[in-house]
Amino acid sequence: MKDILILGIETSCDETAASIVKNGRHILSNVINSQINIHREFGGVVPEVASRKHIENIAVVVDNAFQEAGLGYNDVDAIAVTNQPGLIGALLVGVSFAKGFAWALGRPLLAVNHLHGHIYANVLEHGDISFPAVCLVVSGGHTSLLYMKDINHYKVIGETRDDAAGEAFDKVARFLGLGYPGGPAIQKAAAQGTAGKMKLPRIFLDKNDFEFSFSGLKTAAMNAWKRIEKSRELEVTDLAAEFQQALVEVLVEKSLKAAKINRVESLLMAGGVAANEHLRFLMKEKADQENIKVYYPSLALCTDNAAMIAGVAYQQYITKSYAPLELNAHPGLLSL
Amino acid sequence: MLILAVDSSTPVAGAAVVDEDRVIIESFTNYKKTHSETLMPTINRILRECDCTIGDIDALAVTAGPGSFTGLRIGMAAVKGISMAAKKPVVAVSTLDTLAGNIAGSNALVAALLDARKNEVYCAFYDASGIRPERLREPMACAPETFLSEARALADYEHKDKIILLGDGYYRYSDYFNTELTNRLIPIPGHLMLPRAAAAGILAAHKARQGEFADVFQLRPWYIRLSEAEYRLGKGEV
Ligand SMILES: [Zn+2]
Repeated sequence: MKDILILGIETSCDETAASIVKNGRHILSNVINSQINIHREFGGVVPEVASRKHIENIAVVVDNAFQEAGLGYNDVDAIAVTNQPGLIGALLVGVSFAKGFAWALGRPLLAVNHLHGHIYANVLEHGDISFPAVCLVVSGGHTSLLYMKDINHYKVIGETRDDAAGEAFDKVARFLGLGYPGGPAIQKAAAQGTAGKMKLPRIFLDKNDFEFSFSGLKTAAMNAWKRIEKSRELEVTDLAAEFQQALVEVLVEKSLKAAKINRVESLLMAGGVAANEHLRFLMKEKADQENIKVYYPSLALCTDNAAMIAGVAYQQYITKSYAPLELNAHPGLLSL
Repeated sequence: MLILAVDSSTPVAGAAVVDEDRVIIESFTNYKKTHSETLMPTINRILRECDCTIGDIDALAVTAGPGSFTGLRIGMAAVKGISMAAKKPVVAVSTLDTLAGNIAGSNALVAALLDARKNEVYCAFYDASGIRPERLREPMACAPETFLSEARALADYEHKDKIILLGDGYYRYSDYFNTELTNRLIPIPGHLMLPRAAAAGILAAHKARQGEFADVFQLRPWYIRLSEAEYRLGKGEV
């Protein structure tokens, strides 16, 4: 069978990314223009600034993806683009560009759900995942547990009721003055501190469901800091370590419970927070004891990228699930 | 030279094919602002209706601003994509110039103004006595009061008795402008009041003849305004 080459375009948040993936598996190029240093000045992603950077960078990033792969524009069979969820103005740059590019090239357009991309990043790197599986999707916008019949079919079995895990990381990091983005900032501080010198709550809600809640933990961490800042009884690094520990323990315990109850052998992690080293370590350690195999993408594919978009779109290409020229972007999630 | 012109910079969405100074087909929609859904289907439809493919087009034109930030990016992103894939050069045209292009052969002072919200307008002033508008001042974002005193001063300086106001910025503050300018103001029929993709195409044809093409890899909208966040950080001009 002929090789299928798909160009993926991703602009849902603060990375302008383009990638070409062969047959849904082999990454031929993976170009990411990160705006992290720009948004750091503002203490978080500013949607209008992100959109401005996307329109400036999109043509260069896409062209670089072709150059890196050693291909001409005409060599690709389809164009895949993230159209949900994300920052609406940012998504619209990628969607509008992709529509123009696909139309002028006479190639089909494929609309991709960003979270499907994150989940698929696992498949891009691990060929041996056995299904059914449970997947923890954990990022700045989402904290969900999914039951996956196979890579293309899943249902949500639990979600956060308030803050997403990544959001809690960002807010607490900002409050503690550790900087932006919050995940890496807290991870770095936590590595210098000791968890357990003080105690933050592990909020499990109902022990028997798979819902999450992080706003209570976030508030507890902030209140603890107000006290510690004055008394100096502890270092900020100790608080960061305890906060990370409390958050990660809940994620690990709920994920493993979901895996056991659903009798799956594979546990996948996806999304930006899945890059957290302590989460990776603890999940693997606990899962090993239960004979559950844990998969997570390499750091480069955990954070936003277009390879996961081009990869996951392969199945849509095969089934001819093309998007129309009317395709719009959606900030929220229509369906997972 | 065939030019495909695209405008999604205001609540109006437009696309047109022009051949030098001749309009072949034009779509103008001033109804429900869903540019991201309608723009590409419109482009696809008008090309088909005039028996063209994108390969037949010699250059693309896009209104690059000022205007709605998101609207500008929808049009420009689509045009960048088409330009790269079809290997066609791009001409960027000011939205305000496009508006002023609706008037020719008039001795009045022509002002193009767009509603910039926050009680401001994006505006520029033109001499429209020839076939193409000549811009007299750099575009700016300002309060309607500031705009009006500039308009008066410039009309006096240019010895122009009458003033023409174009664009949705006029509609937004029409009571105020009508009261202030009374019979100095020349009323203009509605089909000339809003930006027309055909006008952008005709201005672009002229720019193309002068070799004024944009670099797709560098091109960015002319916002005139900083984003709120940049403004608060005290950044310089865009
Ligand atoms: Zn993401």
